[in-house]
Amino acid sequence: MKKYMYVIMGLVFVSLGYLIFVSASIVFSDDIALPKAKKQSDTRFRLVLITRDMDTAFWNKVSTGASRQALKEGASLEVWGSYSNDSEQFLKQFELAIHSKVDGIIIQGLDTDEFKELTKVKAAFNGIPIITVANDVPMKESLRRTYVGSDQFRAGGLIARQLLSDMGTEGKVILLADKQNEYYQKERLKGIYATLKMYPQIKIQYAETGESKDQVITTMRDQLNKVPDVDGFIAVNAKMIGPMVQEIGNRFQVEPYFIYTFDEGPESLLLFEDGKIDGVVEQDPETMGEISVEQIINWLNGKTVPLDSNGYFTNIHMLKDNRNEEH
Amino acid sequence: MKSIRRKILTFSTIVIVIMSIIWIALTFYNYKTQVKYNDIINRYLILSEVSGASNQVITDLNNYMNQSTPENLQKLENSKKALESSRYEVFKVRNEVNDFTLTNYIHLMGSLIETIDRLMGQERDSEAALKDLAETTRIRNYISEMTLNLIDMELKTHEPFYRSIMEQSIELVKLAIWMVLLTSLLLIMASYWFSLSITSPVNQLTKAASELAKGKFDNEITVKSNDEIAFLAKTFDHMRININNLIQQIKEKAKLEHELQQNKILLQESQFRSLQSQMNPHFLFNTLNTLSKKAYLEGSEEVSDLLVSVADLLRYNLKQMDRSVTLRDELMVVHQYMQIQKARFTDRLQLKLDIDDSCLDVAIPALTLQPIIENAVIHAIEPNISGGTITIHVKDMNEYVQVEIEDDGIGMSEETITQILMERQVQTAGHSTGIGFSNVVKRLRLFYERDDVIQIESSLGSGTVVLLKIPKQRGEVHD
Repeated sequence: MKKYMYVIMGLVFVSLGYLIFVSASIVFSDDIALPKAKKQSDTRFRLVLITRDMDTAFWNKVSTGASRQALKEGASLEVWGSYSNDSEQFLKQFELAIHSKVDGIIIQGLDTDEFKELTKVKAAFNGIPIITVANDVPMKESLRRTYVGSDQFRAGGLIARQLLSDMGTEGKVILLADKQNEYYQKERLKGIYATLKMYPQIKIQYAETGESKDQVITTMRDQLNKVPDVDGFIAVNAKMIGPMVQEIGNRFQVEPYFIYTFDEGPESLLLFEDGKIDGVVEQDPETMGEISVEQIINWLNGKTVPLDSNGYFTNIHMLKDNRNEEH
Repeated sequence: MKSIRRKILTFSTIVIVIMSIIWIALTFYNYKTQVKYNDIINRYLILSEVSGASNQVITDLNNYMNQSTPENLQKLENSKKALESSRYEVFKVRNEVNDFTLTNYIHLMGSLIETIDRLMGQERDSEAALKDLAETTRIRNYISEMTLNLIDMELKTHEPFYRSIMEQSIELVKLAIWMVLLTSLLLIMASYWFSLSITSPVNQLTKAASELAKGKFDNEITVKSNDEIAFLAKTFDHMRININNLIQQIKEKAKLEHELQQNKILLQESQFRSLQSQMNPHFLFNTLNTLSKKAYLEGSEEVSDLLVSVADLLRYNLKQMDRSVTLRDELMVVHQYMQIQKARFTDRLQLKLDIDDSCLDVAIPALTLQPIIENAVIHAIEPNISGGTITIHVKDMNEYVQVEIEDDGIGMSEETITQILMERQVQTAGHSTGIGFSNVVKRLRLFYERDDVIQIESSLGSGTVVLLKIPKQRGEVHD
């Protein structure tokens, strides 16, 4: 009887001791490490990458490349921006970056007066170097240090040649661009025209539209009414490819048409993989990020002064749908 | 020896120590948490201060632009200074996570101040001034937004910390419950053992005391502890042993007394018997006296004298059996005995006395000489037809009186002498029992408490000499 009592007592003590140990180790555990306080700011360069299309596949790749390069260079980089091409918010972020006196701004160029005002006046006034990435704004208008991204003229030529090789030298083509008519679009168009003008048999129907989905659909409807026997389409602004293909699909089979675009649109690659479009100009966003950071650091360190005002072009190549060749 | 007081002190010290440890641990934990809380709250306060200061600057700036009084200017300067100072405060908030944003934040404040300074330098209501005014408002908005951002960031970075604090506070309640359970259990057990260690020796002692009270003195009192109670028990046990010894002594005394009583009773009985036995001889020697008178009246004077001697001898025998007498008395008895023997042996028996009268007062046991004489008569005179001579010499030898009883009989063998001196019964021929002589030897030795009081010199055919050495110094006559 006494032995049982001892055993029971022992068990009670052991279990209480265990519970106390567990509770005490939680209560007195070292707290989750809080971020270490810093007395002195880094002397590292503070860079900002600003885009209007946050969280799209293209710009995610740009920021991945940029971050990687920044890590390599020992600079701190943050990615700011707006969503869904919201230029108001985008400009606000730009201004904020200028007022925050960051050491360098890598920015998706926006061919508007407000943007140019900010680059030319405010950024220059504060002595902040600006590099445009992916979308360029001419140096004369923006006082950007350089441009890093695809050679849009060449890209236009590339897409035009693909059209020629797919469709032949005869046919009707609708080019769809936006009303903004930004510099990079102009360059692309120039590239396309420069290639196609040698072939008089190719009729080009050029259309401009607003950015919204409804406007694109309306414009497309008009154009299809005007040119019912169209053979090919090129979406100069890649964001329009979605509504465009949708509208074509509403009327005809999509398959027989030759449809081309660029890869920065959110739907470009998805549609290409579905086989709905025949070719996509693939750019190299990661390299854009990397080079832009590299160049701005070079400029800040005074290694390369001035930077090449023509810009640093990254690779482009045509993604072609091989399935189309079967029919 | 561990005293009970020390036990109590130790016990309460342990309790106090346990309580203190718990208290210190909880206080430490509280302090730690408090410090962290303060730190975090301070960070929020600094950030919100910046936002407030920038708002104030803009308000004062607008007031000044509307009414350019020196008073408003002063206000503007003050709020600018406040903004500057909170700008320095913000450095304290810097950590690894918010480093970038915070640097921007600080620069934003700088930009605000710069823009305001620029604005002050410009002509009022000019286009540039209006533009700058609009810009200050925008920067103020950026500052507010960034403050929110920073606070949000703070919340996010500190979220695990808050969660851990919440978890810890829940766990703390549990810990408190377990601790209370454990300590109360421990205390209950400890006080049980503690009280047992005091009361169980007391119980043992009580039991022992009641045993003693019942009169059982044989059980040893043992208390297995090492405090005052044990000491008490030891003393108690000592007392028990003493009492036990006393009781033993009393018992022995009682036994002795009892025996004494018994002996007394036996003694009285034997005295009574001896008195009883004296009655018959009295009647006997009264009868002998009557016979003597009768013999005298009938003209037989010799028989009459003989009967008187026998009666005297008998009286002496009865009276003196157990007391000492003088040598004189003894010699008298011998004389009377010889008279009786003379009546038998007539001229065959010759008695010669050579006595120093000064020695006749020494003490000697009654009936010592008569058995020796009788022995001599029986062994020296009786077997010899021509009779014999018995000579008694009493000489003073300074230290002692020497009594020599000499006969010219057949003598004794060495063996017989040894047997006599060894106080053994001697097997002899004739009617003598042989008890007489050895009885005398025994009595003499007892009386004088020495062995050399009697000597026998004899050889076969040349008579026997019995030598008695009677010490003069023997104190008073034995009663």
